[in-house]
Amino acid sequence: MMTVCKAVAAGNVASNRELIDGHFLMNVKLPLSLERPLPGQFLMVRIRGRREPFLGRPLSVYEFQRHVKNVTCEFLYRVVGKGTQFLSQLRLGDAVDVLGPLGRPFEIYPPNRKIVLIAGGMGIVPMTYLAGHYRSSGAGRNMKIICYAGAQNADALVGIERMQTCSDTRISTDDGSRGYSGLVTDLFARDLRTYDPRETAIFACGPRPMMKQLAVMLKDKSFPCQVSVEERMACGVGVCLGCVTAVKDDWGKRQYKRVCKEGPVFNIQDLIWD
Amino acid sequence: MVNVRDIKTAVKIGSLVLKNPVMPASGTFGYGEEFASFVDYNLLGAIVVKGLSLEPRAGNPPPRIIETTGGMLNAIGMENIGVHAFIKEKLPFLAQFNCAVIANVYGETVEEYQKVAEILSGAKGVHALEINISCPNVKKGGIAFGTDPDTVHDITGKVKQATNLPVIVKLSPNVTDIAEIAVSAQDAGADAVSLINTLTGMSVDIISRTSNIANLTGGLSGPAIKPIALRMVWEVAKKVSIPIIGIGGIMSPEDAVEFLIVGASAIQVGTANLINPLATMDILEGILAYLEVSDIMDIKDLVGSLKTERPREE
Repeated sequence: MMTVCKAVAAGNVASNRELIDGHFLMNVKLPLSLERPLPGQFLMVRIRGRREPFLGRPLSVYEFQRHVKNVTCEFLYRVVGKGTQFLSQLRLGDAVDVLGPLGRPFEIYPPNRKIVLIAGGMGIVPMTYLAGHYRSSGAGRNMKIICYAGAQNADALVGIERMQTCSDTRISTDDGSRGYSGLVTDLFARDLRTYDPRETAIFACGPRPMMKQLAVMLKDKSFPCQVSVEERMACGVGVCLGCVTAVKDDWGKRQYKRVCKEGPVFNIQDLIWD
Repeated sequence: MVNVRDIKTAVKIGSLVLKNPVMPASGTFGYGEEFASFVDYNLLGAIVVKGLSLEPRAGNPPPRIIETTGGMLNAIGMENIGVHAFIKEKLPFLAQFNCAVIANVYGETVEEYQKVAEILSGAKGVHALEINISCPNVKKGGIAFGTDPDTVHDITGKVKQATNLPVIVKLSPNVTDIAEIAVSAQDAGADAVSLINTLTGMSVDIISRTSNIANLTGGLSGPAIKPIALRMVWEVAKKVSIPIIGIGGIMSPEDAVEFLIVGASAIQVGTANLINPLATMDILEGILAYLEVSDIMDIKDLVGSLKTERPREE
């Protein structure tokens, strides 16, 4: 007999402030029953009782903390559409419904690997949570973590402060206003030959063109590389088949996989980028 | 006041008796695996699984969905694992529950409908078939079948020949006269009709001037379509004597009760599942509470009880 136990967690906004233009840091207080998300997993966040936005929005976790009476979950997000616009208007005490943790997490490698994180724009969010996971787990404490973080300009590098405390962070901006001038994939490409595929694991999250570029760079190399992809979602739990992305199956045949269920983490060589 | 435990909620669809009128709508509940950790299936009237075709279908390219005011558009394109994989891999899981399983059937030809129906009829654990003649998101078949009364008559009759299971015909709202189509299905032997499927719609990104859906058009669902769905159920109820399963934007128990009042014997909860996995349970509970406070001992007394004349003001 199945145990019917899962429910939607009722949360309250503890803070929701704009860090720089269009970028918000939201802290949500949630019941202790909410499991700790694994790196790469996401939560569906919906404003309670609202007909607009209608669907929940999948959000990556920036920070998760367990306290005596509750847990707090931090989200860092950029306003890109109607859903995030409404989220940005939430105030202290506002009620949100949270479903999760959802999705396939990153596979965490043993500590003999050097960890390379590549983050474009808001891709910094799951990369920061992943770096924190390595740092707080006993075995990962002494691992070498190198993060390549890119954004359009210096202002849009919002959120890299935490990454800087736990990794060797190398910065690029499209307009050269901070760090290397150019794409984050170009910055990484300059260092690529210094990494040994046998002792390096690559994780990446960012806009689709960035990850496509990375896939091209790594095509004939044997680095293990996991990426977290984004797609519009409705249910977040695998029933609506709305969030699929094209992947190659074991025989190289094209098929669709659900980003919310078989993803959001995929091996980069399995993804089809057309 | 009546005791909630004494209220009769059973609904008959052909030879099949459902213990209550609440079930999920096809395509919003997968094959039943994902929601098993949220919903106690033993309490539901039935489970309706994702539409099944003879062979697996990959579905449409993404993006497949976009939120719209009061709902969403989708163009999944009938992605499914195919009827054989369903029977082998998914059906045994559903068999453990004390709950009717309704398999949704999809085909590109009349023969495919017939073949899928025949295969499902031979499988243990399928209790009824819902024939999807109304999918708006595939080029061939689907909607074309569902918009012509003669074709609906033909498919319904052929599926009935291929199976002993009760047959529910799921109707498209993208027609001029849905009641005419419903009558055709009834005449050909349908045991029930379910309505409405999604309404064909569009959403455009004005920066890129492209459709927000790769398929260009999609099916509109959610609370935005409820008034249309209610009107159509009411129109069909006036013309047919077989049970009607009402579908369209049901988000709350009150929405469900509206459908029962205009003539639906049962209801399907669709898009609501996508924002609240517990929606079916919440709606069932709320319907029972409504019957209790309204002193209605048998849900049949509520079905089709719409008063078309307004009470005179004293």
